[in-house]
Amino acid sequence: MEYIEVNINGLSGEDAEILTAGMSELGFESFLEETAGIFSAYIPIDFFDVRKVSDFLDEQAMNLGFSYKIGNIPEQNWNAAWESAYQPVKIGKCFIRAPFHEPDPAAGIDLVIEPKMSFGTAHHETTHLMIKALLQIRFEGSSVLDIGTGTGILGIIALKLGAKHVVAIDNDEWSFLNAKENAARNNVPGMIVIKGSAADIPSGKFGYILANINRNVLLHDIPVYHNSLENGGSLILSGFYEDDLDVIREMVTAMGMMQDRVETLNHWVAVTFKKC
Amino acid sequence: MAKEVSGIIKLQIKGGAANPSPPVGPALGAKGVNIMEFCKQFNARTQDKGGKLIPVIITVYKDKSFDFILKTPPVAVQLLEATKLPKGSPEPNRNKVAAVSWDQVKKIAEDKMPDLNAFTLESAMRMVAGTARSMGITVTGDGPFKR
Repeated sequence: MEYIEVNINGLSGEDAEILTAGMSELGFESFLEETAGIFSAYIPIDFFDVRKVSDFLDEQAMNLGFSYKIGNIPEQNWNAAWESAYQPVKIGKCFIRAPFHEPDPAAGIDLVIEPKMSFGTAHHETTHLMIKALLQIRFEGSSVLDIGTGTGILGIIALKLGAKHVVAIDNDEWSFLNAKENAARNNVPGMIVIKGSAADIPSGKFGYILANINRNVLLHDIPVYHNSLENGGSLILSGFYEDDLDVIREMVTAMGMMQDRVETLNHWVAVTFKKC
Repeated sequence: MAKEVSGIIKLQIKGGAANPSPPVGPALGAKGVNIMEFCKQFNARTQDKGGKLIPVIITVYKDKSFDFILKTPPVAVQLLEATKLPKGSPEPNRNKVAAVSWDQVKKIAEDKMPDLNAFTLESAMRMVAGTARSMGITVTGDGPFKR
């Protein structure tokens, strides 16, 4: 999404803090302190009311004595620098690489991921743990739901491991497009990508549900996942720290599911539950 | 050996809501940091303060790795929040004058103690009350200090 940036020049300390609080009330969602006395405020263009903001800033500028400038920041891939030079990752028989890396002839599964500002390159602990969990599973013939798919990496691996089809869902536009691109790049035609959330999960039951998101979204959506899972199916969750495992486990087991395996890496967790 | 620092970035982001848009994207992306990784970590660590503005100081190293420390929400932001009538109030528009109680000032002062340059809770409370005055917010009731 396109953003509006407002640069404020000549304000620091308590005055800057008070102005920040006021701008936050007007819908500005984040702030960057450039150097002493200069900071910038950011708001998505769809929430920007130019008159309301100008009126507020003009009044404040008169009282506090600062100057300001409003500009547009067009949408773009801000992660391009990292993505242009990332290192490949090996997890078990999976070799995850960018299009500019040579394949590893010894790897059982060669996976090409070009992330385009989407999450899921196997560098983060949660993706790493999820892939390790997937490599333990016999997916042959199963149907899989990958919710919060990001780059599509987990769904693509499930297909490479024999899953019959995967429904991959993400509410982010970049991820929705990127998961489709990566599925095509890795020749896995069985992947259906949907832009949406748990409310958009198609009817029918899945043998496996994969969700690497965060604690709050998981706690909110676990009942939906439970409903979409076959009896005997597995729910594999990640995206949270060890401290949050108890509250997640409590909620899932209260629905009659059993914890199967759990693994941690640098305090991050991936946990598998079975529906009896 | 300590890692070589390539830059310090100071941001304020809403808890649990970091995303790769500006300012996170351009500020970290220009330094070659994996923005997606920062967002995942920041959101997991601030998920209990959803929607609250959290100051964060990010250290970026020459090898493109990073770490960050979180501060408590700014006093001014907490004061504005404290002046809002609770949801479901029978007459939400009746009292338009912004006011906070000394109890609310104390709560904010306690929360901010680690970040404020104050040795005692009393001096932290005075700082919070000072900010309130600058914002035109009245502190109601009797203060805990001797006149």
